[in-house]
Amino acid sequence: MLASIPSATLHGVDGRPVAVEVHISGGLPGFTVVGLPDAAIRESRDRVRAAVASSGLEWPRHRITVNLAPSGTRKGGSGLDLPIAMGILVAGGAVPSNVLQDTAFVGELGLDGSLRPVPGIVPLVAALRFGRIIVPAASAADARLVGGHLVRGAANLRELVAALRGAGPWSNVAPVVSDRDISSIGPDLADVRGQAVGRRAVEVAAAGGHHLLLVGPPGSGKTMLATRLPGLLPPLSQREALEVTRIHSAAGTSLVGGALVARPPFRAPHHSATQVALVGGGTAWLRPGEISLAHGGVLFLDELGEFPAVALDMLRQPLEEGVVRIRRARRSVDLPARFLLVGAMNPCPCGEGSVPGSCRCTEAARARYGRRLSAPLLDRFDLALSLGRPDIEDLLGGPPAESSAVVTERVRFVRLMAAKRGVRCNAEIPSPSLEEFTPMSGEAATLLERRMRAGALSARGLHRIRRVARTLADLDDAGPLIGGRQMAEALHLRDASCALSSARPS
Amino acid sequence: MTTTGGLTHDERYAAGIAALGAGPVRTRRFLDGYEPAAAWSALANGRHHADPDHAYQSKALPPLLDKVEAACGENGIAVLIYGRPGYPPALLSDHEAPGVLFSVGDPTVMDRRARVVMVGTRSATPYGLSIAAELGRGLAEAGVVVVAGMARGIATAAHAGALVPAAGAPPVAIIGSALDTAPHGSEAHLRRAVAERGAVLSERAPASAGTPVWCFAVRNRMMAAVADVVVVVECHRQGASLQTVKAAVDRGVAVMAVPGSVRSSASTGCNALLVDGVAPVRDVHDVLALVELVIAGRSDITGPRLPAPRASDRPTEARAPNPLAERALQALDHDPASLDTVVRRTGMTLADVAHALEQLAAVDLAVGAGGWWSRPSR
Repeated sequence: MLASIPSATLHGVDGRPVAVEVHISGGLPGFTVVGLPDAAIRESRDRVRAAVASSGLEWPRHRITVNLAPSGTRKGGSGLDLPIAMGILVAGGAVPSNVLQDTAFVGELGLDGSLRPVPGIVPLVAALRFGRIIVPAASAADARLVGGHLVRGAANLRELVAALRGAGPWSNVAPVVSDRDISSIGPDLADVRGQAVGRRAVEVAAAGGHHLLLVGPPGSGKTMLATRLPGLLPPLSQREALEVTRIHSAAGTSLVGGALVARPPFRAPHHSATQVALVGGGTAWLRPGEISLAHGGVLFLDELGEFPAVALDMLRQPLEEGVVRIRRARRSVDLPARFLLVGAMNPCPCGEGSVPGSCRCTEAARARYGRRLSAPLLDRFDLALSLGRPDIEDLLGGPPAESSAVVTERVRFVRLMAAKRGVRCNAEIPSPSLEEFTPMSGEAATLLERRMRAGALSARGLHRIRRVARTLADLDDAGPLIGGRQMAEALHLRDASCALSSARPS
Repeated sequence: MTTTGGLTHDERYAAGIAALGAGPVRTRRFLDGYEPAAAWSALANGRHHADPDHAYQSKALPPLLDKVEAACGENGIAVLIYGRPGYPPALLSDHEAPGVLFSVGDPTVMDRRARVVMVGTRSATPYGLSIAAELGRGLAEAGVVVVAGMARGIATAAHAGALVPAAGAPPVAIIGSALDTAPHGSEAHLRRAVAERGAVLSERAPASAGTPVWCFAVRNRMMAAVADVVVVVECHRQGASLQTVKAAVDRGVAVMAVPGSVRSSASTGCNALLVDGVAPVRDVHDVLALVELVIAGRSDITGPRLPAPRASDRPTEARAPNPLAERALQALDHDPASLDTVVRRTGMTLADVAHALEQLAAVDLAVGAGGWWSRPSR
C-alpha cells in the first residue's frame, strides 16, 4: 500500500526533483501531507479528493499520508496535485503500479478532474530524467522544448488513467511552432524623425551592448527611441534562447505557441515596481524579477528619477556581474540577469532643464531630483545623452531615416568583431584586456586626458568610454586603433552624465 | 564684559533678540530706544511695547542666548548692532536697515569704496556666467567692491571673477541663510575665500532652524541698500533678481542690465529692463562710467581706477584647424545649440561633429556644457 511518484518543484529558475511518497494504512480515514509543503500544496488535499471523485475513480477510505521527499526543503506551487493524485490511486489499487514504471508527473488539478498548466513547466521538465513525463495538455508544447518526445499531455484525470491502462488514446499535442519569425521585431527605427544623435546612440547601444541613459524634456522621443532598441539586437542564440525561455517559464509569463523566446526580451516595469518585483524573490520558490526577465534583452526604466533610490541602487551589482544572488534565511538562489539597461528621465522636475538658462525649478527641487540617481549608478551608463525636442521641419517631412533592417546589419557586424575578441559584445571586454583591444592614437589619449583633468570622468568612466570608442571604431570598420574621431564621439555620447552630476550638490 | 562665546554683553543680547525669528522691522523696533539687555528683559517679562500680544515672550529664554552665542563663537561670527561702532555705514541711512547684522570676515572693506551689486538667475547660460565672471573681475581690478548673493549661477560666477585679481578690491557676500549653515560643495570653497578676502554678511541669526523664503527677500532688499549701482547680468521674466531691482529703484539706486539674446529665456528679464530704459552694460567700462557719475563729488569714497581699454588685449582671432572644424564653427553662434542641432546644421556625421567640436574647444573657439555648444562669449 505504498507508492512513490517522481515529480519536481520550482526553485528560482531551476526545477528540483521531488519524490511524492504515498502511504495508505488502516485506521480512521484521514489525509495528511508532510515534508514542508506551502499553503498551495496543503490546499491540494481538497482539490485532489474532488478531482478523483469527479473522475469516477475510487477514493481509498483509509488513512492517507503523503510525504514530499527530500522532506527538509520547502516546496511550493500547485504542480504536485497530479503526482499526489496518482500516488493515491496507485497506493489504493485503482491503478496498477506497473503502468507507472519510469514515469514522472507535473500538473495542477481542477475540481472536475481537468489538468491545468503550471508556471515553470520548462525548468520542471528539464529537471526530470525519466522515460515518460506526463504534463497538462495545455503545457505540453512548452514542455516539449526541453522534454522532446518523452512528454505526454493529458487533458483530464479520467483520460490519463485510461491511457495509462492502455484503454484509451493519449491527447494530441500541438506541434511546436517554429521560432517566432523575424518580422515581429517591434516598431521600426525609420519612424523616428530627426534625433540624429539619439538614433546613433541607440545603434551604438545595440552594437556594443552599452547601457544607455536618455535625458530630455517631455516629448523629446525618449520612449520612442528606447522601444526600438530591442529590434536592433541580434536574435538570441539557441543556448541563450533556452536560458531565457526557462526564466520566462519559471516566472509564469506566457510563452507564445510553445516556441522558444527567440528575440531579446523587452521589459519596461512601471516606476511603482517594488524592490522584489525588480530583482526577484518573494514567493516560496523565489520568483525571477524584472531584471532576470530582461536577461539577454533590454530593461527599460522610464522616468528613472521616479523609481525609489534603493530599488535603483540594487541594480548595481547585477549590472556588474550579470547575475543576481538572492539570499534568504531558508533558501538562496542565483538568477541570471545580464541585461542592457536603458533609462529615460527628465533633466529636472520642470522638464526644461536641459536647455541652458530655461529651467524654472528651485534649487532645492533640482538638488532633490539630482539625488534620486546615485553617482555610482550614473557612472554605469556608458552612453548618456541629453535630447532636445525634435526640429519641426524634421517632424513634418524631412528626409526618411534609415530603417531598423539597415542598422541591424551594422550591429551584426560589430557583434561578430566582438566575438572574435572572445566576448559577446564590446561592453563585456574585461578591463585587463582593454590595452590589447582598444589601443589609442595620441590624439585620442589627449582628448581623454583633457576630460579627466577637467574632473568629468572617473576611472570606471574611463574604461567605459574606451569600450564605447571600440564599438564606434567597429561600426566605422576603422581598424584596431582608436582615433581621435571615435574618442571624441564616445565622449560626446556621454555628455549628459556630467550635466546630471553637476546638478547634484556634492 | 566678555562671556564664553567671545561676545560682549550687548552683542549677546542683540544676537538673542535677532534669534527670536521676528521680521527685520520688528527686530529693529525691539532695539529702538532700548539697550539690548533691557530690550531682552522687557521681552522676557512681556512688557515690551513692540510686543503687545506677548508673541515673543515664550521664546525669550536664557538657553537661546547661550545657543546663539555658542554658534557665533564656533563659527567666528561677529555681531553688528545698528548705530554702534562696526555697523556698516552704508546701511545706516537706509529706512529698512537691519537692527542686528551677523558677519564673518571684515565688513569694513565696504567703507570708502564704491560698491556694485551683481544679481542674476540661478539657471544661467554659459554666456551669462562668463559675462558675470568678466564683470566681477574687471570691477575688482578697478577697486570696486563686488557684492553678490552666493546663489548658484550668476552670483557665484561674479564672485569667482572678483576673486581672480590679487590686488583688487575684496568682494562682499550677503546671504539669506544663517552664517552657520553649511554651504554645499563648490559654494563652501567660494564662501570661505570671500570671507578671507572680504566679508560675508547675513541678517539671519546663527542656530536658527532652516531658512524661510522671506529671508531671501529681506536679503535682496539689503543688497539694494548697500549698492551704488546694481547690475543685472541675466534674469528671467519674473526672476527673484527683480526684487533687488525694485528695492534699488525705490531707493534711487542706479540699475544696469546686460542685454542678451532675444531667444534666450534667461535674458527675458534683462531685456525687459532695457526696454524700460535701464542703462545697458556691454563691458566693465560701461559699469565703471556710471559708478564714476554716482560717486562724483562724494569725498568719502575713493573712485575706481579705470583700467586701460580692453580692446587691445583681446586675443587675435584663432583659426579653425581644418575645413571640417571650420564648417562646425560656422554652425555655432552665441546661443547654446544641442549636439543634434549642430549635426543638422552642418550635415556632417556625429563622429565628425564631435571631433571638430573637441578640436575647436582645444583652441577656445567653442565651449560646451552638458551637450550644448556655443561660441565663447569673448
